[in-house]
Amino acid sequence: MLKFSTEETVSLKKQFKLSFEPVYTKPEKLDDVYEINKCVEWIKSNNFQKVCLQFPDKLLPDSTEVILKLQSILNQTLYIIGDSAFESCCIDFISAEHINADAIIHFGPICFSYTTENIPYLNIYEKGDLNVERLRPSFKEKFKHHLNEITVLVDSPYIHRLGDIVSALKTCQNVLIQLVDDYPLVIENKIILFIGRNVRKLINIEFNFQPRMLYYFDGAMKRYEVCPSILKRRNYLIEKIKDSKTIGIVIGTLCVRNYLKIMERMKELITLSGKKYYLISVGKPTVTKLSNFPELDVYVVITCSLSDIYENRDFYRPIVTPFDIEIALNRSERLVPIEDVEDEEGDVSLITNTIRTTTLESASANVATDLSPAESQVALQTERLWRGLEQDLGQTEAELAQEGRSGIARKYKNEEGS
Amino acid sequence: MVNFTVDEIRTMMDKKRNIRNMSVIAHVDHGKSTLTDSLVSKAGIIAGAKAGETRFTDTRKDEQERCITIKSTAISMYFELDDKDLVFITSPDQREKEEKGFLINLIDSPGHVDFSSEVTAALRVTDGALVVVDCVSGVCVQTETVLRQAIAERIKPILFMNKMDRALLELQLDAEELFQTFQRIVENVNVIIATYNDDSGPMGEVRVDPSKGSVGFGSGLHGWAFTLKQFAEMYAEKFKIDLVKLMNRLWGESFFNPKTKKWSKQKDADNKRSFCMYILDPIYKIFDSIMNYKKEEYEALLPKLGIALKHEDKDKDGKQLLKVVMRTWLPAGEALLQMIAIHLPSPVTAQKYRMEMLYEGPHDDEAALGIKNCDPNAPLMMYVSKMVPTSDKGRFYAFGRVFSGKVATGMKARIMGPNYTPGKKEDLYEKAIQRTILMMGRYVEAIEDVPSGNICGLVGVDQFLVKTGTITTFKDAHNLKVMKFSVSPVVRVAVEPKNPADLPKLVEGLKRLAKSDPMVQCIIEESGEHIIAGAGELHLEICLKDLEEDHACIPIKKSDPVVSYRETVSEESDQMCLSKSPNKHNRLFMKAQPMPDGLAEDIDDGNVNPRDDFKSRARYLSEKYDYDVTEARKIWCFGPDGTGPNILVDCTKGVQYLNEIKDSVVAGFQWATKEGVLSEENLRGVRFNIYDVTLHADAIHRGGGQIIPTTRRCLYACLLTASPRLMEPVYQCEIQCPEVAVGGIYGGWYTYVRSKAYLPVNESFGFTADLRSNTGGQAFPQCVFDHWQVLPGDPLDPSTRPYTVVQDTRKRKGLKEGLPDLTQYLDKL
Repeated sequence: MLKFSTEETVSLKKQFKLSFEPVYTKPEKLDDVYEINKCVEWIKSNNFQKVCLQFPDKLLPDSTEVILKLQSILNQTLYIIGDSAFESCCIDFISAEHINADAIIHFGPICFSYTTENIPYLNIYEKGDLNVERLRPSFKEKFKHHLNEITVLVDSPYIHRLGDIVSALKTCQNVLIQLVDDYPLVIENKIILFIGRNVRKLINIEFNFQPRMLYYFDGAMKRYEVCPSILKRRNYLIEKIKDSKTIGIVIGTLCVRNYLKIMERMKELITLSGKKYYLISVGKPTVTKLSNFPELDVYVVITCSLSDIYENRDFYRPIVTPFDIEIALNRSERLVPIEDVEDEEGDVSLITNTIRTTTLESASANVATDLSPAESQVALQTERLWRGLEQDLGQTEAELAQEGRSGIARKYKNEEGS
Repeated sequence: MVNFTVDEIRTMMDKKRNIRNMSVIAHVDHGKSTLTDSLVSKAGIIAGAKAGETRFTDTRKDEQERCITIKSTAISMYFELDDKDLVFITSPDQREKEEKGFLINLIDSPGHVDFSSEVTAALRVTDGALVVVDCVSGVCVQTETVLRQAIAERIKPILFMNKMDRALLELQLDAEELFQTFQRIVENVNVIIATYNDDSGPMGEVRVDPSKGSVGFGSGLHGWAFTLKQFAEMYAEKFKIDLVKLMNRLWGESFFNPKTKKWSKQKDADNKRSFCMYILDPIYKIFDSIMNYKKEEYEALLPKLGIALKHEDKDKDGKQLLKVVMRTWLPAGEALLQMIAIHLPSPVTAQKYRMEMLYEGPHDDEAALGIKNCDPNAPLMMYVSKMVPTSDKGRFYAFGRVFSGKVATGMKARIMGPNYTPGKKEDLYEKAIQRTILMMGRYVEAIEDVPSGNICGLVGVDQFLVKTGTITTFKDAHNLKVMKFSVSPVVRVAVEPKNPADLPKLVEGLKRLAKSDPMVQCIIEESGEHIIAGAGELHLEICLKDLEEDHACIPIKKSDPVVSYRETVSEESDQMCLSKSPNKHNRLFMKAQPMPDGLAEDIDDGNVNPRDDFKSRARYLSEKYDYDVTEARKIWCFGPDGTGPNILVDCTKGVQYLNEIKDSVVAGFQWATKEGVLSEENLRGVRFNIYDVTLHADAIHRGGGQIIPTTRRCLYACLLTASPRLMEPVYQCEIQCPEVAVGGIYGGWYTYVRSKAYLPVNESFGFTADLRSNTGGQAFPQCVFDHWQVLPGDPLDPSTRPYTVVQDTRKRKGLKEGLPDLTQYLDKL
């Protein structure tokens, strides 16, 4: 008999390729790495009843050990949040809300994005190895003339070595040491030494604070310079946005504060420049999911700043940041609807070498956004050859119902073969 | 202006039968611009004495410096024909009654292959072409190219043999040799015409014939020219023979015996070829006596020929005197203008047969009829063929031809770009024409309005068109056809500003450059590099100079020139390639195979295209390429961009829901053909066959998300298993160099040796410079893109050149270095 599901052996033997290396911490190190005592202290002192433990995918192998330990100490039920809907570096309060949790303890890499809800949370950082001994000589050599201008910024995996770092730099007075979790992070000095190696964070530091010099230390002192190709690629994307007619706004987070504001801003910019937009919420955006909307020209993903989706080139259509949209579509400080722009000029696209048409399209553009989901689906698919089953009312003769297929999709009963 | 005013021209513009729109076309350095000067001097814009030295139509500083035409330039001229000449115009469509004056709109075009796109743009707006051939070097590759283009656009040619002064002074040819040379050139030209034109076609016979007066002879530099008509007029009275009959006798196998006064068709001992005797001999005598300072001889000769010198010219001698004498005797302007007025079609004549070549819409709608009848009261139909920079930085005149209706200052019109399709709003603007202008060499003149059949410029349209477009007042008008260029932009350089802060200026400059040249492409690549693509090194050099000096006005860094490659396959995939969708429920089975030779070119040329009726296309493919008819009927699409030289063929049998995933498969195909697996270059000449498809029964599990990426993976697997190859562009290169031939019938005179060769574009960089320096500037190559050729070697084998090319390209594009991994794309059952 045909079974309803695939045989279990298939599932058991199935080989998966992981995009990350899972971490298995030795049991004797668990207390240190996951700071069990600190967690217990925090829960007890705040008297939280329902606490969620959020693990990124790669730390999941340790999660059971950690929760068992905590439960045995606290003598209360705790919950694990795994497989986060969006980015695992953000506090996943949506999942926590499912059980009306009071608090979240977040383990592993974190982005420090503001969360939408003020749920209490505790960050337990990763514990990275750092060769602090090598920090001092290279620091002295590099910065002995700039001691007053320098800020040392310590990334989360190395905060547990803060003491060592401070003592290593003790001889150099007045050196300002900041931690990445000093929120809001403000760096006024023009030379920054970042203790860490996360490239996305480095890029964000470079763009946010525009230091004169940015160094990073992960065992060796290196100068960080934004690769020109990153900026060049952005130029291309901006050109692509200007060329586009329909833009997909992809909700890539529900946790980062102001994501709704950004969304509204995107809608406004896109509408004012005479383009159409579609709002897409598909959970964590993947190549497969977004390819279901091939009619869109560009996707703007609203998500946490540490997301690596922006670097991914496998997508059918380019992925851009809200900032790119801002640069490409915001012509002036003051937002003016494109219909009202007086001396509107035809602009040459550097991708197709044709004139970009915007004005005449815009009249119909706004309509799509007011449509119900079903209607907008229709609007999206008008260019397709196949538009789903067509009723052809009155064009085909009515026929008596016939017996169709039965069984399951994997193999219908009337299909041939075993 | 000396001879005419704008008002006079405007009056002439209404007399559409007395208009001649013409281009001057030729191989590089055959003397187009110099010859054009003789015409301009006749029409009186510049003083006669300077004709031949000023190159009036070379308006740019670098054109004057290099003595090479880069941009085509238009001038309007006014010329009156004598009554005796008017009788030669027999067709009622070729002249208005009671009107002697003719308005000639002339476009001088560049001869260097790199600027052929300018020629194409010039041909589009004209009805006739003056083909100039240097009688010393004869018909060259570019002569053939431009002539072929002219015929294809239904432009009627007339021929002019230039540089006769060189033939006489430098080569010292005797009369019979010179005649043979002329005859050979006429034959060569007529062979080309016959190859591309059908005498029974709508243009009728377009062959050039000296005895009809459609071939001119002379020297642009010295400012003299004649047709057989001029000489026949001199002798007609003496012989008491009808002019037309005499013209016939003055060319070809026609001999005269001065003793017996008998004409003969055969050469014998006593008679002499009439062309040599009556035409060349007097010219030779003048040359001989003046150049050898035989003062008495020529002082006796001149009055005989009716040449009266001005007082101040009498003291001259040698070459100076020769010029004056010849120019007085046979003024070039007169002969040329007669040829143009008599033999080139008026817009009324030409538009009758050109309409079907020009108009994309139905051939009986208002616009089509307006064009056909050249009707100034019909709706406006104007084709903008190029943009001409104004003195106002960043702004352009839209230059073009009014085919129907009238274009007027201030009128509201529809501006349709090349991507406009009737009924849609894409590439369409409705704007007022700010100003209508006449363009005359270096000057422009405002004009109130311009009726059909004329060439003019528009102000205020440049913002809505990139290079070309259609301007109309007819709501249902279709586009006038886009021009087809004979060259392709295969050479590319990457540019960036020396100072990164100047990037916005560079971008603005690139946009302006894209407008100012009919051919150049200014694009930003996915990696963000700004690329300028042109037809050749010289073209790029000029573009970069313009960009730096005129359009962006910033210092620019440029990369070495590179060529773009194409990816292809050399064999059929060695296995059936299967790729599964991410949910594993859908499977695609496909194979790739190379297209038969010639099919990719057929697709490029539009002989096989996506808009064809699928049945006739299938028949064509099966007859010419031996494709299975049923399969050939099921070509799903062409790609990249829906039109490229790769096809996707449905070879499945009875697969359920197949039509539902067609959109997704096509999207994946477009994606994969645009960015090939090796280095994300376009594919070329690959046929993909879909053999089988298994699909999930529920529509939701076989949507675009599942199918598009899977199709791409499967196509990539097909490519990798079909011995992928790279293709590189190849030039056809004609090298011309003078060689002193020893002995033989040409004893001691210069003969031009021409050799043709194929040269990969990549290896051509610096070739021109090398060749020139190694031959002391004598050898001169003309390179024009010819075809794509497989680069020998397996790009997957690290020891080959294609491998290096692939890696270099990947590096430039910021892709992961190394080789694509088949296992990423191929799945197991």
